[in-house]
Amino acid sequence: MSNVKRTWNVNGEEKTLEFPPLRRLLDVIREDMRFTGCKEGCGEGECGACTVLLDGVPVTSCLVAAGQVPDGTQILTVEGLEKTEQGRVLQEAYVSAGASQCGFCIPGMLMASFALLSKNSRPTEEDILDAHGGNICRCTGYVKIIEAVRLAAQNWPRK
Amino acid sequence: MKKLEKSDCRFPSTLKEALELLANESTRGRLLAGGSDLMVQWAAGMEPPPRVISIKGLKELQGIKEDDGAVVIGAGVTHAHIRSSKPVQKHLPALAAAAATVGGPQIQALGTIGGNVANASPAGDLAPALLITGGEAVVASRTGERTIPLTKFFLAYRRIDLKPDEMIVRFVLPKRAAGEIEVFRKLGTRAAQAISKVMCAARFSVKAGSFETCAVALGSVGPTTVRLPKLEEWIIGKSASEETLAEVEKRASDEVSPIDDIRSTAEYRKWVSGRLVRFLLES
Repeated sequence: MSNVKRTWNVNGEEKTLEFPPLRRLLDVIREDMRFTGCKEGCGEGECGACTVLLDGVPVTSCLVAAGQVPDGTQILTVEGLEKTEQGRVLQEAYVSAGASQCGFCIPGMLMASFALLSKNSRPTEEDILDAHGGNICRCTGYVKIIEAVRLAAQNWPRK
Repeated sequence: MKKLEKSDCRFPSTLKEALELLANESTRGRLLAGGSDLMVQWAAGMEPPPRVISIKGLKELQGIKEDDGAVVIGAGVTHAHIRSSKPVQKHLPALAAAAATVGGPQIQALGTIGGNVANASPAGDLAPALLITGGEAVVASRTGERTIPLTKFFLAYRRIDLKPDEMIVRFVLPKRAAGEIEVFRKLGTRAAQAISKVMCAARFSVKAGSFETCAVALGSVGPTTVRLPKLEEWIIGKSASEETLAEVEKRASDEVSPIDDIRSTAEYRKWVSGRLVRFLLES
């Protein structure tokens, strides 16, 4: 079937790609752009490991047909975090809290945390739980992940 | 997934253009909105259709508007938008609560009210809250619009009253009246990312100690989401007493015929349906 062409801003850089319209965004990100930090866990929207931000909104990239992502969309993957001060604060908080064990869920968790704190840098416990409800971790029991988000909120650079 | 990449997908830029594609058998295709149901089905191995029409982002399907008696929600409005909408929170609180229980934030950002209804899963999270409003779905084709009461829209398991050249364009949902309470509860294995075992929504009012109005809907207890007309009729004028509520529990349980499946058993669902209706009407 004929390909579609889309131009996005990915992690701060403009990229133009061609792909079959219903190719999963996850595959475009991992295979075409080689941002392999984005993980495929379940492939059906349950686990959140493939979470990326589209214009700041977290989505499971395994459920997004890449053709449906319009030109001009800002895509942020875990690789883009280190480019901003906020992203670095978040990464450091996860490290300090020891929030990662096997680590497979962490790229998705980080994106969920980043989306939350970008909108609401003083989240309540309930806000944190709600924002990470779409991300499953089978190692940590979530306690240290929640701790990391709290820590990142404390250190979040505010204008 | 590679199979899906062989399917054709069109991206109409207006509703009119989308309806034209649907009207013609040679261009007709499966409508794809947020993808939170269809992409999962295709990933799970269901044969993808040869032609898909993307209606995501169509402006005519967006927006939540309010008039005197109703809240009007475009079919392309996402669960995230519904749960955070002030008019929905105020006038249709059960729907706002239901939208907040769909999957997790990622799914809520993708999935739409139109898609949730069109896929017509008996476990569709929004259906009970929609049914208690007594509202309508508006569907469109190239030749015009048609309005269908939501209580008649769900025909059978995963089937709604929609012709091949039609699509859902909006929902007209009457606001709760002054004094009416709306409540919603979903039972599943965990708060997020769970498909329900049973869910219930109710809209009712109590005046001078007696039930004055009552609408109750249950999901995941039959091939479609159901209202409980016998219970609703019986309860009007009854006192809001322990005696009535005990009878409500029994009658609600008797009025549903759920099945055993991977998520729960018929026996549990029947029992908990009664408990759930009682719990909501106690609030």
